[in-house]
Amino acid sequence: MSKITEIADESGDKYKYGFVTDIESETIPKGLTADIIRMISAKKGEPEWLLSWRLKAFEFWQTMSEPSWAKLSYDKIDYQDLYYYSAPKQKKTPKSLAEVDKSLLETYDKLGIPLKEQEVLAGVVAVDAVFDSVSVATTYRSKLAEKGIIFCSISEAIKEYPELVQKYLGSVVPYTDNFFACLNSAVFTDGSFVYIPKGIRCPMELSTYFRINAKNTGQFERTLIVADEGSYVSYLEGCTAPQRDENQLHAAIVEIVVLKDAEVKYSTVQNWYPGDKDGKGGVYNFVTKRAACRGDNSKISWTQVETGSAVTWKYPSCVLQGNNSVGEFYSVAITNNRQQADTGTKMIHIGHNTTSKIISKGISAGFSNQTYRGLVKITPGAKNARNYSQCDSLLIGKNCGSHTVPYIENRNKSAKIEHEATTSKISDEQLFYCQSRGIGEEEAISLIVNGFCKEVMQHLPMEFAIEAAKLINISLEGSVG
Amino acid sequence: MAGLLQQVSLPGEEIPWLNEIRRRGRMVFEATGIPTAKTEAWKYTKPRELGGDDFVLALPSNNLDASIPNLAFDSYRICFENGIFNPRQSILPQGVEVLPLIEVIMFHPEYRTLINANIQLERFPFAALNSAYLNEGVFIHIDSKVEIKKPLTILYHTDNKNQNLLCNLHNLILLDEQASAKLIEYHCYKGELKSRYFVNVVNEIYLRRGAFLKHYKVQDEAFKSNHIALNCVDEASNAVYQAFCLQKGANIARNETHVLLKEEGAFAEINGAYVMNGWATLDTTTDIEHLAPNTISHQLVKGVIGGDAKGVFQGKIHIAPLAIKTEGTQLHKALLLSDTAEVDVKPELEIFADDVKCSHGAASGELDEDKLFYMRSRGIKEEEARRLLIDAYLEDVISKIEDEKIASWIRLMAK
Repeated sequence: MSKITEIADESGDKYKYGFVTDIESETIPKGLTADIIRMISAKKGEPEWLLSWRLKAFEFWQTMSEPSWAKLSYDKIDYQDLYYYSAPKQKKTPKSLAEVDKSLLETYDKLGIPLKEQEVLAGVVAVDAVFDSVSVATTYRSKLAEKGIIFCSISEAIKEYPELVQKYLGSVVPYTDNFFACLNSAVFTDGSFVYIPKGIRCPMELSTYFRINAKNTGQFERTLIVADEGSYVSYLEGCTAPQRDENQLHAAIVEIVVLKDAEVKYSTVQNWYPGDKDGKGGVYNFVTKRAACRGDNSKISWTQVETGSAVTWKYPSCVLQGNNSVGEFYSVAITNNRQQADTGTKMIHIGHNTTSKIISKGISAGFSNQTYRGLVKITPGAKNARNYSQCDSLLIGKNCGSHTVPYIENRNKSAKIEHEATTSKISDEQLFYCQSRGIGEEEAISLIVNGFCKEVMQHLPMEFAIEAAKLINISLEGSVG
Repeated sequence: MAGLLQQVSLPGEEIPWLNEIRRRGRMVFEATGIPTAKTEAWKYTKPRELGGDDFVLALPSNNLDASIPNLAFDSYRICFENGIFNPRQSILPQGVEVLPLIEVIMFHPEYRTLINANIQLERFPFAALNSAYLNEGVFIHIDSKVEIKKPLTILYHTDNKNQNLLCNLHNLILLDEQASAKLIEYHCYKGELKSRYFVNVVNEIYLRRGAFLKHYKVQDEAFKSNHIALNCVDEASNAVYQAFCLQKGANIARNETHVLLKEEGAFAEINGAYVMNGWATLDTTTDIEHLAPNTISHQLVKGVIGGDAKGVFQGKIHIAPLAIKTEGTQLHKALLLSDTAEVDVKPELEIFADDVKCSHGAASGELDEDKLFYMRSRGIKEEEARRLLIDAYLEDVISKIEDEKIASWIRLMAK
């Protein structure tokens, strides 16, 4: 008998962005204590008010317990076994791309988003590239500065615009908000800060690429966007992370303040390492994202494509305080293999004539489980509020699960609320139609899935939409059969 | 006078397995306590007042036989007065076993496996409380292929003015293969009843192969009372369960229906309506578990809420792995009539199989001003026009009741 050669099933290992760049990282000891927080704060040269805020958050965090209500199961996280600070070591702060560490730039090259190329692409996208926890390169700053737009890392903003940061930091997501937000408030190392002045329309899409790199580093990003009266900005957030075996914790916060007549569009493509096909490794993603529409006629639109992470816990929310304010949430979430996602949104209607819209598309394949969890709340004073929610789920394969848990709380009779949800599988007719026209099964499924997600994808900015469509195909590879 | 858990002497204490059920019920309720907003299943309905009240456990007494209300339709009757079974007021059908629960426990131990067979007490604190006092209730057994034409009404009638009665009722309803029946539950009270009595009902319904049960319920308790009911339905292949519940009374009320579609072809239709103008919380909770392929469930619940009242709907459709070719639909709609009314909705889908068709929908809003204007411009008084629109709103679900006499009775009760 001839020897049987095992052919490895590659289907679960299609993570294209799995590599670790070998650059020197500067870390402080593992674990979380008040001293570590003082150390982080000192390393970053932070003002006293921020340190005391961090310490208050830390104190509060110690009284909290990790939430367990989500339909997620994962190994318990030992918060004392993590590094809370890691910054790429550099001799001095770079002033231009030329000064940035070469190996860093190569990393981005591999990702297909070279900064250089983007520079050449003249004014399409500005990248505040975040490598692990500290901003290393910020481009197009001067161009934006002409319009008075501030786009920098939050550490810089703390130094250069302390009054703005102090006014808005924690005003949308207070440190008491939830377990992960509280942890983030205590230990956040960096993130982005955007301020759009009155009446300014940001001439380009602002973008940050987050990457997790140093081994065993929980990444605690903090993003703060303030859109002053009558301004507009579209912000892109994209995520990829290198492949590795130990679970990585990521607990970010995004806070957005939208003032009168302003509009913010926030788009995310999240493609962190989801673990291998048996669910080993992968990123734990516990994110708090919230926007407050403070002024009248303000608008916030969240668009997200979630394909990565082993565990996702994420509910981008809209607090509609201003009269006539609008909140939108468009989401595509894809889970495959052993991924788990519990995601959705919250729409809190407070002002008069507020409108919200939720379009959520969930696709589960393999052995994955996915939950849409959303809240629509109409407070007693929110006259003539309007909400429309639609949550559709698509199941591929008989071992996956798809769940929908919307909460609808109406305390004003003039509100009109509609919620619809459906769950189905790809119909044999659709597949047969494609296949009878010579389209392979896998390709047919990707066509159908892309059609299923179209309503959401069309809300993504162009270059993101292309990347997202590719991601959907990669994520679903191997789910057939 | 005492709280919900009291030391009382109940019949059947010599039976060890009965004692075990009671002991476990007591133990679980002691551990869970009265649910608070932190208990996910009780997020919106807060029965905390029950903790503060003094209750007197309903026990047999001689002064039963108060005048009981007439029913608008011809029916057999099983009568509970102030939480106690009253055989003298009951009219029972021939050839059907209807026995007080305690008699079945004592003399027909073969049915003991039916008690709490599908109820996880940890999940249902009030069912645990119910078990702690397991005694009162009826056992209805309809033999294979027997069809009872006339409806069978269980009448729960309270007129105790002075004390906060605690009425624990546990009914076992067993329909053998191909049996068919209509069951009506009517909870009512007499006079100006201001006591904060508490009715805690558990119905365990077993539908064997091909059995067919229509289950109608009207909850019209006194305005300060509390009403918590759990219906646990176990369906074998091709069994059909059709339910309709109208809730219009009590201060805190929950009607919870938990259906287990255990075998192929089982079908469940859970409809309901709630109407409230006072300050009560009316809660309709469902959990339909599709455990086998080719099972079907439909739910439609509509509510009209005014005053300071609160309507709650929590509906869950669960599809187990391998329960393919299943269909589950669910729709909840609520009409808010006042600025202080509130409605909280949580429709939930939990799906572990791919070849299924499931949907849920929820909507809430106020009376359509255009429609009101249309009617008023044609000479209909505003009050009358509102009445007509509300009736029409509910008609949608009431008209699903196939039996015309029962439908018109419920229509009348909903006004």
